[in-house]
Amino acid sequence: MTQVKRVAGWILGFVGFAAALLLAWRVFTQSLDLFDGLFNDPSKASTIDLFTEALYIGIAAMGLNILTGYNGQVSIGHGAFFGVGAYASAILMFDHGWAYLPTLPIAGLICLVVGILVGIPALRVKGLYLALVTLGLAVVFPDLTKRFVDGTGGTNLISLKTEQISPPYWYDWFPDFIADPLTDYVGSRDQWAFWLAVAVAVATIVTVWFISRSRFGRALIAVRDHESAAVTVGVNNARVKVSAFAISAFFAGLAGSLSVLVSRLANAGKVETFQLSILLLVAVVVGGTATVWGPMLGAFVVVFAQDYIDEQDTLTDLLDPPRAKLMSPALFGIALIILMYVLPDGIVGGARRGLRSLSRRRAAPIDA
Amino acid sequence: MRNLGANRLRPLVLVFVLALVFAACGDGRNDDEESSGDDDDTEQTTDDTVDDGEEPAEGSDLIDATDCPGDPTTGVADGTIKLGTSLPQSGLYASFAEILRGSQAYFSYVNEELGGVTVNGEQYQIELVAEDDAYDAEQTVGNVTGLVNDDQVFGLFNVVGTKNNLAVREFVNENCAPSLFAATGAPAWGNHEYPWVLGTFLVPYPLEMQALVDYLNETTPDASIAILAANDDFGAAYVETLESLVEGTGLTIAATETYDTATGEVASQITTLAATDADVFLLGATLTACPTVLNELAGSGWDPIVYMSGTCTSKTLMGLAGQNGDGVISVAPLLDPADPANASNEAMTLYNEKVAQYQPEAAADNGIVAYGWSAAAMLVYTLENSPELTRESVMETARSLTDVSDVGLMLPGATWSVGADDWFLGEQFNLVQYSAADGFFSAVGDLKVYDDQTEEVTPESLVNG
Repeated sequence: MTQVKRVAGWILGFVGFAAALLLAWRVFTQSLDLFDGLFNDPSKASTIDLFTEALYIGIAAMGLNILTGYNGQVSIGHGAFFGVGAYASAILMFDHGWAYLPTLPIAGLICLVVGILVGIPALRVKGLYLALVTLGLAVVFPDLTKRFVDGTGGTNLISLKTEQISPPYWYDWFPDFIADPLTDYVGSRDQWAFWLAVAVAVATIVTVWFISRSRFGRALIAVRDHESAAVTVGVNNARVKVSAFAISAFFAGLAGSLSVLVSRLANAGKVETFQLSILLLVAVVVGGTATVWGPMLGAFVVVFAQDYIDEQDTLTDLLDPPRAKLMSPALFGIALIILMYVLPDGIVGGARRGLRSLSRRRAAPIDA
Repeated sequence: MRNLGANRLRPLVLVFVLALVFAACGDGRNDDEESSGDDDDTEQTTDDTVDDGEEPAEGSDLIDATDCPGDPTTGVADGTIKLGTSLPQSGLYASFAEILRGSQAYFSYVNEELGGVTVNGEQYQIELVAEDDAYDAEQTVGNVTGLVNDDQVFGLFNVVGTKNNLAVREFVNENCAPSLFAATGAPAWGNHEYPWVLGTFLVPYPLEMQALVDYLNETTPDASIAILAANDDFGAAYVETLESLVEGTGLTIAATETYDTATGEVASQITTLAATDADVFLLGATLTACPTVLNELAGSGWDPIVYMSGTCTSKTLMGLAGQNGDGVISVAPLLDPADPANASNEAMTLYNEKVAQYQPEAAADNGIVAYGWSAAAMLVYTLENSPELTRESVMETARSLTDVSDVGLMLPGATWSVGADDWFLGEQFNLVQYSAADGFFSAVGDLKVYDDQTEEVTPESLVNG
């Protein structure tokens, strides 16, 4: 009976998720007046790319959450796994003529292997030291691409052609959810990227949900909370930790692979890889560590907040225009600090706390 | 199941967020002057009379617009032509935003004092939508996609950065949006698969090497050359070209070292190169690596002839080298606004006056502002010489620019042309030498003329790679 309830629960969960996305999109597109000024013009084609971006950042953040949230291993090098995924897809398509779809799982699997390779030495270090080791990964990765990737114009950039990131022929068989109201703006390429990201996001959510409720999930948490106690009850410490690394790298790889559909390129720079790594960690913490939905919500908050702040001309116009943009990352940082102050346990954690206190208050008079 | 992990993570995340904030703010320091960019761009010197001219444009079949999507007059409406640009306005390379000030000053001048740009008898105001990409190619793609699809710009102007332009050239090509004067001296803009992108008038990096080799053949024909170059495509453009150019001459390459652009560590490389005691030192570096290398060099006891990338010739960077920059040789396609000898020049007078009027915060004596001004002048020149205001027509005009002279702060007597096969503009320039006492570069010898030679001197892989 409980099984049935559970299955029904998660089916409802992700149907609700897809519906919420669709609803959000509809609201944005149809009530332009309401949202004008709050968000970038919703009828713009780039808004759907923003959704896709939030989704793939969310996928990577959910993966990172398994490692950092559930297993307590801090990684500030996941931008590198993300990059490996992007390069894997881009190279397979550009140099080897693959179609996009088969490169998606391959990119994930390559990252899985890299994750195992990184996870084994990471067994020996913890906490801040592990953070430093993974930071090293983020720093070394761009150099490796410079050395080994022979990309566009002699750089380590691989720029893809539109036909390489276009939807497959069977995509036309599906009804057009998004393009109908927006025919002038949204091309099938944007929609294809969006719906594919939704599909992968749903699969990720289901996987993480199962992991969090499985024996393996309890082992992850046990190792995080008390390593030696976990070992005494039979948890294979090393295997759990390495698996956590591998799984989180796998999702980062999928996310990186999806990113080439939006960005049309694979690229790695020291600053960008590091910033992405931090962004993923921020999404996890903002959404709520060790929660299934938190990192995805966190990713949406982070991506849209960043876009919103970038578009605030009224704020930045107060400053000298050519230098105004210098302020937007700082404003974003300040917003995050405030958010963490108000919701120290993230959005999901905060919501749970709110619900709990609500039900307690409601319960109180009855007790009295 | 509760969030035990969160407690432990909280301080760590706070630290990261603070680090991000500092990283974001930390670069405001050098945005005043300065120039140069990684693989791209930078200022240079300049001068001269006012703009405008004669030539170009006939409707040859340079551009095939048959498969182009969209309206050929996209971005033109109500007497306004809307253009877009993407360049770093935040992040490590925020100093490039100064280019924008120079360009905006010129556009304001044209819009307000000349009534706009005149194309085919009609006047249009110029509107420039400027997006920030923090020098990150991925953000450039997002910006350019938005500019073309959402903002519906006519075309792009002065997108900064080699990688950034490489990342969008496919998109630009497919959408037939002219991308004019891409701010980078990389040889990749000669690739004929991408006719909708035209590079700027910065001296193409390989041509700098040709100028150096010619100079050495004249002065010290048996010189040995030691090279220090960035470990990326920018450095490779110098090294590979020079290697192919010294073949068959009396010149030899004594040693080649590279440095990591991310760390900028150069001390051990300088020691190694100094040990060769070569006659000439080629510095294929950019940004702060330039003054760092010059300062290291001064302490090494080695005293070669130093040639430095044209991307390093900024006032700020040379200021960091101080006395150690004395005598360094480089190239400059424009008049140097810092040189008082140019102050009486008519074009320079106009430049100084209008920048002070429309962009009072800009440092007019900074070459990078002069670069932005001149690029804007080139754009206006191109538009005015187009037979009609369509994307195809403007691109064809740009592709057939011939003997352009006295536009912006061009050197007196210099003419620039886009060859039929050689798609590079900045092929006439000065070889210049820095005087630490004076604080500016002055020309060495006459104007260097290398018309239609860039393609020839550049290894093919650099152009079409």
